Amino acid sequence: MKKLITTTAALAFTASGAFAADIALVIGSNQDSFWNVVKKGAEDAAMVIEARGGSLNILQTNNYDNYGADLATLIEQATAQGVDGIATVLPVPDAQLPAIKAAQDAGIKVTLLNGGGDFLEESGALNYFGSDEYVAGVAGGKYMANSGAAHILCHIQIPGTVNLEARCKGVADGATEAGAKATILRVPANLDGDVAGTSAAIEAELNGDASIDAVVNLATWAADASAAAIEQLGKTGEVKLGTFDLSPSTLDRIKAGTQTMAIDQTPYYQGFLSVSTLAAHIDFGTKVATEPVLTGPAIVDASNIDATFAGVEAGTR
Amino acid sequence: MGAFVGMVIVFVIFAMFGFSRNFLSIAGFANWMNFASTVGIIAIPVAFLMIAGELDISTGAVLPASAMMLGISVNHYDLPMWLGIIMTFSMAASVGLVNGLLVTRTQVPSFIVTLATLFAVGGLTLALSDFLINNTNVSLQSPDWAKALFGTRYFGFRSAVYWWIGLIVVFWFFLHKSPWGNWVFAVGGDPESARNAGIPVNKLKIWLFILCSVCTALAGMCQVIQFNSAQSATFFNMIFFTIIASVVGGVLLNGGFGSVAGVVFGTMTLGIVQQGINYTDIDRNLSLLIIGVMLLIAVLMNGTFQKLATSWSSSKKED
Repeated sequence: MKKLITTTAALAFTASGAFAADIALVIGSNQDSFWNVVKKGAEDAAMVIEARGGSLNILQTNNYDNYGADLATLIEQATAQGVDGIATVLPVPDAQLPAIKAAQDAGIKVTLLNGGGDFLEESGALNYFGSDEYVAGVAGGKYMANSGAAHILCHIQIPGTVNLEARCKGVADGATEAGAKATILRVPANLDGDVAGTSAAIEAELNGDASIDAVVNLATWAADASAAAIEQLGKTGEVKLGTFDLSPSTLDRIKAGTQTMAIDQTPYYQGFLSVSTLAAHIDFGTKVATEPVLTGPAIVDASNIDATFAGVEAGTR
Repeated sequence: MGAFVGMVIVFVIFAMFGFSRNFLSIAGFANWMNFASTVGIIAIPVAFLMIAGELDISTGAVLPASAMMLGISVNHYDLPMWLGIIMTFSMAASVGLVNGLLVTRTQVPSFIVTLATLFAVGGLTLALSDFLINNTNVSLQSPDWAKALFGTRYFGFRSAVYWWIGLIVVFWFFLHKSPWGNWVFAVGGDPESARNAGIPVNKLKIWLFILCSVCTALAGMCQVIQFNSAQSATFFNMIFFTIIASVVGGVLLNGGFGSVAGVVFGTMTLGIVQQGINYTDIDRNLSLLIIGVMLLIAVLMNGTFQKLATSWSSSKKED
């Protein structure tokens, strides 16, 4: 039996063409629309990779309940699959770094995207493609304060997640710098993805503290929840709304004037650039000289809303 | 038997589609066994409760609570590891005790009781960790002996896999060889006659709830020591995983029937389906659909096998 397994494993190795890079992309929940845009970018990059005879396998978690362990397991899985390169998010370094080291020990090249840029050096990864969460937060906080907000509520949907905490810290610091006040709202993580529950939680905060005149969300579904809460209270226009990331409804609101801005980190680039540069590095030895490569922040507001729409329709923004 | 055949069929299907990505390698095998071990450690005592006619869904909160408790007590308060482990087990045991007492002393169904403790423990975990360490995640650097016992790898398999295997043996003796096992079946099959026969029904149920929470704590501690970090989010999926593993393994939801081997095969089936999809070229957006359909097929097959088995044994009796 054991012999059978080893021979089939050996066969499997020879079957997958050894000349062009096989890449695994490890990203977050398949039920979160954000990752669909990352996936779109990676799939576009895969056209070139596949043309060279390589392949791309996209591995996603089911949810965020057990995020660090789930991501580490997916990295182990990619290692077991014998890929040549792994592009991964790194939101929980404690849990993921041992798996990344094991992959590197097996001769696999690793690159980072979206989160964990601070651990670029420690992880030994080739590069990082994403935004600096804190810098993006500062930009968002400043923008909201400069557009007239005095007390910003920053909502964290999964408390304790490093990149989310950094975003809200940035928003708070940016707001303070521009002379406004900020409060960070941490809701139970089981409300993650729950629009109705989150909307009620935001509504309760707005009800409880009348001085709050702006809400910043860290995900577009949460902004939908906030928009509903603001509308429910009849405070549309009175309470400003900003969010990280883009979605059709976010852009509709910006167009309609009920949302002030959205902070884009260009997830399409994160998927496209991480996967294509990783494959090119393995196939041709090329390397991007700039590191980390920042794909954001880019603020979408009324001034540039129309150009952004086309991208959303194509699934690339 | 049905559970074993179901597992083999699922395995062969994924082996065919996942062949080119090393699904059949040792590392591929270890990969889904590692995933299955956490579920498996919890699924067997959950199945015991189901056989005894009860249900425990508070596992989804006890797992992160245990991981966080060990992390906070050892990492933040610098308590020795052994003390942290004892404290964590005690915390879990008291949750089990509360579950057991509430279920046996009141007429509230165990689904509702453990639903309440699920949310209560989940909320307490989040609130306490934010209060104590200003963070809802904790990292943990474990001493070598704890790593070796709970959180390392041997031949590619996590320590949890070996704990699981050990528990399978112990639990198999408990359920199928010891008198207590007969009690569990009797309590689930017909509680009234069980009580009349002198079985301490309430005591047994309380101990089963404690066992379930303590095993969940073991799984949680293995996880935090293995991954050096814990998060306080309630692990709702774990509830579904353990129940799916039990039901696919042939445990009846209304009690009185089930086996340790069945639950083990059920857990392995879940592991193959859950992890196996990533070895194939199937669109990942379809993964949940495929898991649902496969589990349904497995359960239906189980039912058929069970009917065949009972009709075979009853016809044999008539001979």
